[in-house]
Amino acid sequence: MPESTLLELANINAGYGGPKVLHDINISLSAGEFISVIGPNGAGKSTLFRTISGIVRPASGSITYKGSNLLEVEASRRAHLGLAHVPEGRQVFPSMSVLENLELGAYVDKTGIEFRQTLEKIVSWFPVLGERQQQLAGTLSGGEQQMLAIGRGLAANPDILMLDEPSMGLAPTIADEIFERLIEIHKTTGLSIILVEQRVAEALHFANRAYVLEAGRIILSGNPAELQNDDRIRQAYLGM
Amino acid sequence: MSVSGVRKDFFHIALFGLVYIVLAALVSNSYYLLIMTIVPVWAVMGLSWNLFSGYSGLISFGHAAFFGLGSYLVALCMVVWELNPWITIPLATLAGGVSGLLVGIPTFRLRGHYFALAMLAYPLALLYIFEWLGYQEVALPMNREAPLMYMQFENPFYYVLLGLLLLLCTLVITTLISHSRLGMSLLAIKLDEEAAEAVGINTLYWKLVAITISAALAGAAGGFYAVVLLVVTPLAVFGMLVSAQALIFAMFGGVGTLWGPVLGAIILVPLSEILYARYAADFPGIQGVIYGVAIIAVILFAPEGILWKVRSLLRPGQFRMLGSSASVADFSADESLLAVTHDDKNQTILEVSDLSKAYGGLQATDALSFKVRQGELLGIIGPNGAGKTTLFNLLNGFVKPDKGSINFQNKALVNKRPNRICAMGIARTFQVAKPFTHLSVLDNVIVGAYVHTSSRQAAGQIASAAIALVGLEQQCDLPGANLTNKELRLMELARALASKPSLILVDEILAGLDPEAMQEMLKVLQKVRALGITIVIIEHSMQAMVQLVDRFVVLDHGALLAQGSPEEIVKNPTVIEAYLGKKWLENA
Amino acid sequence: MGAMYGLMCVGLTIIFGVMRVINFAQGEFMMLGMYFAYFCFAWFGSYAFFDGLWFPFLLALLAGPAVFLVGLVLHRLLINAVTGRQASQLEAQGHYAQLVLTLGIALVLQNGGLFLFGSSPVSVSNELSYSAWEWGPMIGERVSVFVNQAQTVSAILAVFVVIGFGLLMAKTRLGKSLRASADNPDAAICMGINVDRAHRLAFGFGVGITAIGGGLLASNAPFQPYIGTEYVIIMYAGVVLGGLGSIRGAFLGGLSIGVLQQVSAIILPNQLQNTVIFICFLIIILFRPQGFFGKKDRTA
Repeated sequence: MPESTLLELANINAGYGGPKVLHDINISLSAGEFISVIGPNGAGKSTLFRTISGIVRPASGSITYKGSNLLEVEASRRAHLGLAHVPEGRQVFPSMSVLENLELGAYVDKTGIEFRQTLEKIVSWFPVLGERQQQLAGTLSGGEQQMLAIGRGLAANPDILMLDEPSMGLAPTIADEIFERLIEIHKTTGLSIILVEQRVAEALHFANRAYVLEAGRIILSGNPAELQNDDRIRQAYLGM
Repeated sequence: MSVSGVRKDFFHIALFGLVYIVLAALVSNSYYLLIMTIVPVWAVMGLSWNLFSGYSGLISFGHAAFFGLGSYLVALCMVVWELNPWITIPLATLAGGVSGLLVGIPTFRLRGHYFALAMLAYPLALLYIFEWLGYQEVALPMNREAPLMYMQFENPFYYVLLGLLLLLCTLVITTLISHSRLGMSLLAIKLDEEAAEAVGINTLYWKLVAITISAALAGAAGGFYAVVLLVVTPLAVFGMLVSAQALIFAMFGGVGTLWGPVLGAIILVPLSEILYARYAADFPGIQGVIYGVAIIAVILFAPEGILWKVRSLLRPGQFRMLGSSASVADFSADESLLAVTHDDKNQTILEVSDLSKAYGGLQATDALSFKVRQGELLGIIGPNGAGKTTLFNLLNGFVKPDKGSINFQNKALVNKRPNRICAMGIARTFQVAKPFTHLSVLDNVIVGAYVHTSSRQAAGQIASAAIALVGLEQQCDLPGANLTNKELRLMELARALASKPSLILVDEILAGLDPEAMQEMLKVLQKVRALGITIVIIEHSMQAMVQLVDRFVVLDHGALLAQGSPEEIVKNPTVIEAYLGKKWLENA
Repeated sequence: MGAMYGLMCVGLTIIFGVMRVINFAQGEFMMLGMYFAYFCFAWFGSYAFFDGLWFPFLLALLAGPAVFLVGLVLHRLLINAVTGRQASQLEAQGHYAQLVLTLGIALVLQNGGLFLFGSSPVSVSNELSYSAWEWGPMIGERVSVFVNQAQTVSAILAVFVVIGFGLLMAKTRLGKSLRASADNPDAAICMGINVDRAHRLAFGFGVGITAIGGGLLASNAPFQPYIGTEYVIIMYAGVVLGGLGSIRGAFLGGLSIGVLQQVSAIILPNQLQNTVIFICFLIIILFRPQGFFGKKDRTA
């Protein structure tokens, strides 16, 4: 279904000045799809997102978004096109209130009219954000900060939500709650989601499709159920 | 450093002195001779600033304080006690040094912005104090009858000689320092203070030594300046322009080099003096504008100074290297230099009990207790964010625990500074490698070797042995910044080994390596272990670790999840859940 | 006096707060504000329409936008090269380069000012500068407090500007984007905020506000082009006292420094007034670098 392809990365090579972190990455995402990228630490998952959102410039390769070349768009403009990046480690604005954080998520919406409706939806998904509107984001717990970061990503009504390790450093029950919320959001809105995760089982369970990244290369991709039984994943993580 | 490098620098210094004298002898205009006297004064100031800020990376905006104290000391001693400058200039040097030490002790607690601001305040505070004391203008009394004694010569040529003498002394001192342990330590501090502390450099001590010497030189320059100009005013010696000039000459010429500050002074002082003499009537601030423009241009177009710029234009592609380039590598050195002997294999070398550390709401380390046995290879594993690196930061003293204790060879480690802990025998590598980028691989490792020896010879030997062990002989003259990921990690390992540790903390040394390089790294770690050194290694992925380690400690959310042999750990359901998630177990 | 210091400190702290840059040239921007007021006063003051007592104060306020523009241009041409995202490639995140660059700008402005404006002290004054309201007699029959009218008007204006700017930062989309850029620049980019532009605006606002402070001060005391150096430390003393990066702290800090200076004038000789401030500054920075009114700086 090439016409429904929303985002396509072709032969991406990227790094931070020194040695390359990503080698020949090919990934595609169709409208309404939920894909997962899994892989051990240091495999290049975060670099992949930073390349899509423009913080890292690839050395070669192309990124096509809605049929046009994304690499020509400056980093800060990309959010205006419907790409929402929820960075690793939560990255809220700690000395601003929860509400202000959400408003900044909708920074691209200049009038703020749509935002009011979106805010209602965000609060219905994450009621705790509604209760703590005026609290400073830096004083929230880890799980609440992650919910805020996701809520902030949703505030601009994006076409693609990129989630970088939402479970990192969170207790399993809280991580489970966040995953359940994500799947609910995906199902009710049809939002396209790219999830980068180290919790392999969850990442595979929720996704329509998955890619396995190791040492900067995609070593496997396809149907999550098949991947689940692939010994190579177990090997990559547990060494046996 | 080879003796030949020092000799070469001395030869250049002598040559420079000779050329300068000949030039001065050819000049008869007394105004130009005055300029030729002032140039060395400012060159000394530039070198003084460079010795501290250029080598240590802490920017001082306060060198005017030392300069001014030197000036006033010479001037007032002559006015009040009729002491001659031959006595008072050394006194000014001493006073500068002491004031440098006094300024350094409280001010080094500050970092970055705060340090720069505090340094700015010292000379300005002194400026107003001297104004208040009524020393708005102190003229040196004339003693023409004893010119030699009071340094008051009819012929300005003699002033040039004295100024040059001061400059030559300063150049010699700078040369000696830059080839010494002090110079290497300062460069290491500049390039990465945290790594410097971790390889056993007592950063505070070396910074104090540096500011003392630097301030002493500034004091001497100030004292001589008073003698030349015969009149001292607070603004002329404590003013912001004085500190600024010191900095500008050094940065304009080339930071961290021997000749940069001299070059800066030689170009900028005559330029501004001559333009000032010609256009001062129409354009009174022309000197300041020239200095301002010069420094703006340098920052924008040649941030390392024109000396480096010219060098990189002449030899494009050549990397900017600091420190000594001549090699003292001696690879016949014996690995046994690094070996550790211990009597009892099963003795506990490190004991962590009830260790806790929280950041904000996040409990990074949570009542953690475990033991490391002498000579073992212990793997610490756990998912991202489990608190592994925080644990290492606690162990080597970067971070202080909220509670709990760490005992190493039965000595408590909590509240000790990282350089002390390194000297006691715990070395580490970093998750994100921290090379001293502008030092060669050999120098990187030598910096680590200075922990147990102050002789460059011995340090060179230990460093060579460590480099040979990890197999970086071919790369030993490359700068730290030009290494591949694998070489960087090997270099860090060698640097850690050079401090002759009994315990090495290795942080994700396998991350980002391809399978072949990983195997190579594992071999090197086995070699290290064969020397009797205990290794604690952090790794995210268990794959490679299973073949390597004797025992695992598994962390999750800062707490101990499990410990035991590799076979036990990979079958442990809680470990599998932490790594692959609950659903994996359900489906399996 | 204190309120104007407070205002200048607010300008400085915005620059530090958003850009994490120590601007040594801040005093020179204050000087530019003063001369802007002075020259406009000299040129237009002869027209009857501009003859009112309010005119110097209006000029002070206009100095803000004028210097704001100068700030934007300087940021684009020079400062941008060593700050923000460009800085991450430089040694020590470019602190080195930033400090030295702003020092260079300070030298050029200061000495260029000497050429353009001359070295003799000038001032903007009108009747208000010489008239005072008398409060009193208080404490028995002897003591009265005289309050200079020009200073009072200036102080009130300063408070208004600070409140206005505080509202701008707190409520508007622009203010929020500036604060977001300060709080977490990487995340701000993800939100679609142009961080370079935010830095440019912050620099412009910062120098503009300090220039208003300078313009207001111009109607109180004579000044010359070198005045900036003296004030840059006073401003930093206020900013550090209040905690680097906090607007409210900076205003209170500046206010305290102003009061301290006035009080010390009663008991100490004139020359030592500034020394007192510098010594206070050193004590604060050595023992409580996070300031008294702000929270602990995460990057300190």
